[in-house]
Amino acid sequence: MATTQADSSLTGEQRAIRDVVREFAVEEIRPTARSADETETFPEEVWDGLAELDLTGLTVPEEYGGFDADRTTYSIVNEEVAYGQLAVATALSVHCLATECIAAFGTDEQKERWLPDMAHGRPVGMFALSEPQAGSNPAQMETTAIRDGDEYVVNGDKQWITNGQRGEVCILFAKTDPDDPSSVTQFLVPKDAGIEVGQKEKKLGLRASDTTGLKFDDVRIPAENRLTEEGKGLSAAFTILTGGRVGIASQAVGLAQSALDEAREYAHEREQFDKPISSIQSIRHKFADMATQVHASRLMVREAARQEDAGEDNRVSAAMAKYHASEAAVDVSNEAVQIHGGYGYVTEFDVERLYRDSKITTIYEGTSEIQKEIIARGVLDG
Amino acid sequence: MMKILVTVKEVAEVEDDFEIDGLGIDEAYLEYDLNEWDDYAVEEAVQIAEAGDDVEVVSVTIGPERSEETIRMALAKGADRAIRVWDDAFESVDLLDVAAKTRLLAAVVEKEDPDLVLTGVQAADDGFGATGVSVADEVGFEWAAVVNELDLDADGGVANVRRELEGGVEELTEVDLPAVLTIQTGINEPRYASLRGIRQAQRKEIAPMSLDDLGFDASALDSPIALTGMSEPESESDATLFEGDAEETAAQLAEVLREKGVGAQ
Repeated sequence: MATTQADSSLTGEQRAIRDVVREFAVEEIRPTARSADETETFPEEVWDGLAELDLTGLTVPEEYGGFDADRTTYSIVNEEVAYGQLAVATALSVHCLATECIAAFGTDEQKERWLPDMAHGRPVGMFALSEPQAGSNPAQMETTAIRDGDEYVVNGDKQWITNGQRGEVCILFAKTDPDDPSSVTQFLVPKDAGIEVGQKEKKLGLRASDTTGLKFDDVRIPAENRLTEEGKGLSAAFTILTGGRVGIASQAVGLAQSALDEAREYAHEREQFDKPISSIQSIRHKFADMATQVHASRLMVREAARQEDAGEDNRVSAAMAKYHASEAAVDVSNEAVQIHGGYGYVTEFDVERLYRDSKITTIYEGTSEIQKEIIARGVLDG
Repeated sequence: MMKILVTVKEVAEVEDDFEIDGLGIDEAYLEYDLNEWDDYAVEEAVQIAEAGDDVEVVSVTIGPERSEETIRMALAKGADRAIRVWDDAFESVDLLDVAAKTRLLAAVVEKEDPDLVLTGVQAADDGFGATGVSVADEVGFEWAAVVNELDLDADGGVANVRRELEGGVEELTEVDLPAVLTIQTGINEPRYASLRGIRQAQRKEIAPMSLDDLGFDASALDSPIALTGMSEPESESDATLFEGDAEETAAQLAEVLREKGVGAQ
């Protein structure tokens, strides 16, 4: 498709990154997508490829061997990796969340110990905020980290942990006082400190992503692994997650674009009533709606990223972008299946997987309902 | 100190469905990218530079300002600097023929004085497939065409190459430096540019060179060849589907290959 307006405002460096990551997504990620989904296996060789492109160091400061990308570049990379496969983009963005937390809150010693290796791809990062009974309201969490001399002792269960099996470094949120909801604090816990990995979740989509629970049973970590002051964990999480939201919104755009492109190719080839279905008005109108949805989503995402790069408050625009782009990804992949007819309902065509994958984008890293709450707060109470 | 000059070209690629308008294809159907063969030539040069002590890789292109984005990709993959030959006079030229390209590139070779010139075997768009060898002839370098393996002995001043001849025959030969080698796809596995490579490339030099800089005037672009028509070749596909298990389909394939004369002496 012709270059959209959203791309003409990119710098030369950003355009080059977009082109290379798009090529990598099409040539290296996409061919592994179906089998990774079917076997529910994360494609580790693809991860190594991401590392060679410096993508695993995307949000690591340059002095620790990373690329220190601006938010716009971060957004472009997330969009293009998701164009290849959402599960890979999800794993990458969670790894980036972990490196961002270490870069933002860690001591020089912690940064030196973890960031150069993580920038090169391994160890892989995890982000452990959600719990079985604490989803949209993280303050409801029950995991505790109780100070004991020079150590903290961690107990509790975390849920929906991306990179749960393959990850080695966990950014953990836990209360230092079980009776005080405002005592949530952020810690760095290496897997080998004694984290038990739960069963892999059986999911509707995003099946190549390694999603598990994590169990902490008297896991002892040195006190210096505390990343934030006691009680400062949640506000720190929300700052990092606002940036992460732009990433998830970008992934939704990439997924929607790939569904649109698959449907476009199919509609040109598929003939009914002696002509390609792309010449039938009811189908053409679907494409008009889908393309408009994708374009609007991309513009919203780029604007939220631009605001962050300019140092402006983008909490509302990031929430709008995440809300709109994820709902659009569900709609667009739904229409892509419809355009494929029966062939869209079978695994032989990629749109079946894209449709299943799309749904998670309206749920994770803040449901659509939570995004609306943030938006409404900005509109009514700001 | 060794210097490798790599000629690169931004080529036009058409979408699956396109329309011919007079002597050209409408811009709406075109995308521009680094010529595939040149990508292998760049990779070969960068690998030599990485293996050696003091090797400079310079890429040169003939192209409008738009092509800088493509040329920067060669810089992102590891070339040290680039030269872009262009001039207002090019705007009125429909077809830049091999002789004109040879004149310009030979002048760049003489200015840069490289030990080795790598070119792609051919360009994916106009596809003359002659520029590399023609440049070698003009500057008096040794040459080898369609090289698919290269082992450079820089100290001995020799390139040991394997090159493709027609009919699946290959030749092993030695070429004395300075030399021009035209590089075939498959000689290596071109890398993806890394993000850091892309960032560094934004700061690398792309030196502009005009006809005047190279000692020419607009007549250097004159050509006895004119583009008189453009049409899409008719194509037909004739697919044979083999059915059965691996042994049966292999036998059927062997039958077809024998009929077509493959393996006949």
